[in-house]
Amino acid sequence: MKLSSRLREKQLALAKLNEILLQLENEICGLGVPLHKAFEKLSRMASNGAWTALLHALANNMNERGTDAGMAWKQALEEAACGLPFDPGELGLLKDFGDMLGKSDRDMQLAILRMEKEKVMAMESRAKEALATQGKLYRNLGALFGAAAVILLI
Amino acid sequence: MTVIEEQEMLQGIVPYLPARIANAVSRIDFSHTRCLEEIRVKAGLPLMGVFSGYDRFISEEGSLSTTAQLGLPVAGCEVEELFYRMCEHSVYAYQEDIARGFITLRGGHRAGICGSVVYQGEAIKAIKDISSVCIRISRQLKGCAGDVFLHILRGLQDIYNTLILSPPRCGKTTLLRDLCRMISEGRPDIGFPGLRSAVVDERSELAACYKGIPQNDLGPRTDILDACRKPEGIEMMLRGMSPSVIIVDELGSPGDAQSIRRAWNAGVRIVATAHAYDLEDFKRRLNIGSLAEDGGFERYIILGLRHGERIIRVMDQNGDQRYCNHEDTGINYGLCGLNGNRDEAVLKASGEAACAGQA
Repeated sequence: MKLSSRLREKQLALAKLNEILLQLENEICGLGVPLHKAFEKLSRMASNGAWTALLHALANNMNERGTDAGMAWKQALEEAACGLPFDPGELGLLKDFGDMLGKSDRDMQLAILRMEKEKVMAMESRAKEALATQGKLYRNLGALFGAAAVILLI
Repeated sequence: MTVIEEQEMLQGIVPYLPARIANAVSRIDFSHTRCLEEIRVKAGLPLMGVFSGYDRFISEEGSLSTTAQLGLPVAGCEVEELFYRMCEHSVYAYQEDIARGFITLRGGHRAGICGSVVYQGEAIKAIKDISSVCIRISRQLKGCAGDVFLHILRGLQDIYNTLILSPPRCGKTTLLRDLCRMISEGRPDIGFPGLRSAVVDERSELAACYKGIPQNDLGPRTDILDACRKPEGIEMMLRGMSPSVIIVDELGSPGDAQSIRRAWNAGVRIVATAHAYDLEDFKRRLNIGSLAEDGGFERYIILGLRHGERIIRVMDQNGDQRYCNHEDTGINYGLCGLNGNRDEAVLKASGEAACAGQA
């Protein structure tokens, strides 16, 4: 059951990340807000769930340590890794996200954000597939082990 | 400025600088930092400072030298780091500023940038591969226009249309900024109540707005239109803000003269600056020289430097002198002369122009 709920959490976290990217696109390309302020604003949005701590750390890293988005993202991702429902391989895929942020004009930023969104959507669809197949398996196994335990107890 | 104010001002710039450059600049002796005007950072070349009237290469220990080899060599990645820091690691947020060739920093300091220009059609879209940055340090000298202000007053309720003329780097923007503050704030000591002022700050130098907030004090009755071209800006101010005085810096483009005349026709006073050595030189200027012939400007303030002295003269529209003052700037003129033909030529020319008829 735990494994199944982790798969669900992962899928939800990726869907949320997609929403964050959409909001970030609006902040960057629509309003021209500097990155540290955009991350600060996004971190204040309670609905960002598992990502709130990461966005907060990201804004802090950029604001107080004066680091660029790439470095700040890597540090924040490491700090928040244990609170996110991803395995090391998936975290590795997300690691390079911040590298190109803030280093070019709005058109280029838009292209970068869209590319990232596609990557996250691909991860999300894989997570959905896993939830549909492995999730069912884990749930059935859970029910089977439960039933076996009851039979043994009787 | 006091020692503490000077240190605070420098501390405002240091966070933008990469570690090695910040360290070198922080170690410059105070006797020099108080007259530091620019920090020039060029990829592959030594770090340079421009002081009041002279320039020097800055070593890693903060000592100054005329020998380039003794200056701290700046790496390309350091220029890049400086650029990203100035943009708060968000280049897109500053792309309009970058296309204009400079970024206004917190504190009103201005960083000019050079690199490869990217065009989109006829307009500059961006500057990439940044190769050099020149940080111009902003100093607001409150009270520097105190004496001059008395000579542009029309009675105690109004001012004359005034034009400040000087060669580059003689302090006309600093003087204009202080005049603006006085016009807006008023001068209770002489019974001048203050006037509603509108500043069209095309180059973001007067108010030095950083994220919309003026970093310089232009007075409580001043509205600021930042980064707007003068012709459109003057029109917008006339239509929307009903000012008594419009203040603009560096007249020169073709539309400027027409918009100044429009403001005069609307009964609004103009205080402006222009690059010229004297009134005759201004009259010869393309596009704007005719403004002097119209007799619209009633006072001319002419600035110059000679032998380390700043000369300020106020003249009326007939060319009669109303005021003249020689101020010691503390600049060693002999030292200035060591620093290349350009500075020497400018200083001599400006001095001669502003001192014409004074010998």
